[in-house]
Amino acid sequence: MNTNIQREGLRASVNFLGIDGIEFIEYTTPRPQALGQMLEAMGFRPMARHRSREVLLYRQGGVNVIVNAHAPELAGITAVDPTPVIAAIAFRVRDAAEAYRQVLERGAWAVPTQVEVMELNIPAIHGVGSSRIYFVDRYKEFSIYDVDFVPIPGVATQTPAPTRLHLFGAVQYIGIDRYDDWIEFYSELFGFSMLPDSLRFGILPKGHVLRSPCGQFHLQLIEPELTDLELDGREYFSRIGLGTADVLATVAALRESGVKFSESEQTAPSSRGAITTGPGASFELVHHSND
Amino acid sequence: MSQITGNIDGFGMDTISMAGSLVAKLKAMRGAGFSQVMLSARDLIGHAEGVDAAVQAVRDSGLRVTGFQVLRDFEGLTGKLRDYKIDIAKSMLELCASVGSRVLLVCSSTSTHATDDLDDIARDLRRLAMLAVPHGIKVAFEALSWGRTINVYPQAWDVVSRADAPNLGLGLDSFHSLAMKTPLDELDVIDPDKIFLVQLSDFMWNEIRSVEERIDTARHFRVFPGEGVHSESSADMVLRLDRLGYRGDYSFEVFNDDYQQMPPSQVAQRAYSSALWLGETVLQRSVPLPGQMKLRRVS
Repeated sequence: MNTNIQREGLRASVNFLGIDGIEFIEYTTPRPQALGQMLEAMGFRPMARHRSREVLLYRQGGVNVIVNAHAPELAGITAVDPTPVIAAIAFRVRDAAEAYRQVLERGAWAVPTQVEVMELNIPAIHGVGSSRIYFVDRYKEFSIYDVDFVPIPGVATQTPAPTRLHLFGAVQYIGIDRYDDWIEFYSELFGFSMLPDSLRFGILPKGHVLRSPCGQFHLQLIEPELTDLELDGREYFSRIGLGTADVLATVAALRESGVKFSESEQTAPSSRGAITTGPGASFELVHHSND
Repeated sequence: MSQITGNIDGFGMDTISMAGSLVAKLKAMRGAGFSQVMLSARDLIGHAEGVDAAVQAVRDSGLRVTGFQVLRDFEGLTGKLRDYKIDIAKSMLELCASVGSRVLLVCSSTSTHATDDLDDIARDLRRLAMLAVPHGIKVAFEALSWGRTINVYPQAWDVVSRADAPNLGLGLDSFHSLAMKTPLDELDVIDPDKIFLVQLSDFMWNEIRSVEERIDTARHFRVFPGEGVHSESSADMVLRLDRLGYRGDYSFEVFNDDYQQMPPSQVAQRAYSSALWLGETVLQRSVPLPGQMKLRRVS
């Protein structure tokens, strides 16, 4: 398939939205405690609680994860499929209102937000599947959590990363023959560029990897294998990738906390990466230095 | 009922060619042996039991949706009119996705309020293509022969190329090519992977002398390929597209007032005869073996 690497690379050289990393990743789940336990095993700590909704903020180093058990779309979900869903990714940008205006002009779908009194109105657009992409510009002087969240008593506002993990990126599953569409989408709307296939991260050398114009966030697009039994065409964020300078040492430390890793032939932990297994959310470790 | 005796797999009917309810049209197509249907937004919106029931009827029919039509007068606008058309486009995309269609047909603008600047037109089409990405929809842009700026397919290909979006391609309609006498040689420069839909029809007279007559013919007097006086040109177009490497769908875009007064089953039977002529006589396709593999392009 022709994916126009050169053209994408040229266009993406300009960070027109002023993207500066990721402010938070949001999961929705009808079982917030189960996901919370998993996050804590991965080294995250609960930091704050939303003022009006059943929403918790977890943090590890500079990585913020929001666990949302309040989402209206969860209303119909029962024990049938309680798997947490990556519902949103929030980009830090220079000017959220301007970024929002620009992406709408380039072909994004606006998401009407429902804001309670005294809560921040964070502009959002539709992402893959049912997910959203937020734009946040209040992360330097004060944070969005100062407004919408109440600190959990006894927890320090900043916490060291016990396993020194940082956010590397996310994995997005796509439909058959959809690489070009999604590469163009992330390039046109956000200035992402595609990395050459020779530059690989993690344990699964599949698909294509895009990098944000700020260089801090990666998206791995993966098409289903033809041999996959469930070719339902569903497109979604599958998991986040957490970067570590020493994968095997991190795997050993996380195993001590009860985290289980895939041991299959293709995805057994190696110095390149590892993938957690078990019920609930899955996380990928990626050999990557944040220095 | 099954009467599939020949290879008509790549051919389908438009609902606009028949009278009656959506369910009756789908039943007639299925009964005639077709496996796909080109839908119009009106099929869903005008359904007596509502949009959801219409979507369910399409899914229950077992017919694959060839495409969804039609977004008109979209490109080249400014200000409030542009914002308004973006809203209309979004509504069309949502309907298109709801019914499982992977192609949205967009006709070139006839609006006197639209610019003739090709780069502005391309920019709007590119924006539309990006709107379509999350829904997994391809946008097929068609030159309407009475379009204000874009009225022949080489011009449509020009702006599609300028817009340069992977899910934006060309919709070809043989009526407009025949009516404008656009040389088919121009097809040779088009990337066959960027042709997202081909609509076929014929008509009963040799000359169309005015824009008014062209519009009138297009809206009331089309017939199925092989029924009119341009059989040779229709066959030539299909053969050229086949040689070019086009392997996508052909849909019969036949607006005909007489067919609106015939039972859907009889109209579908005429369409079937047309498909059989194109599939077997013109393209000389053989009947596929049972369980034939569908191969994907190499990455």
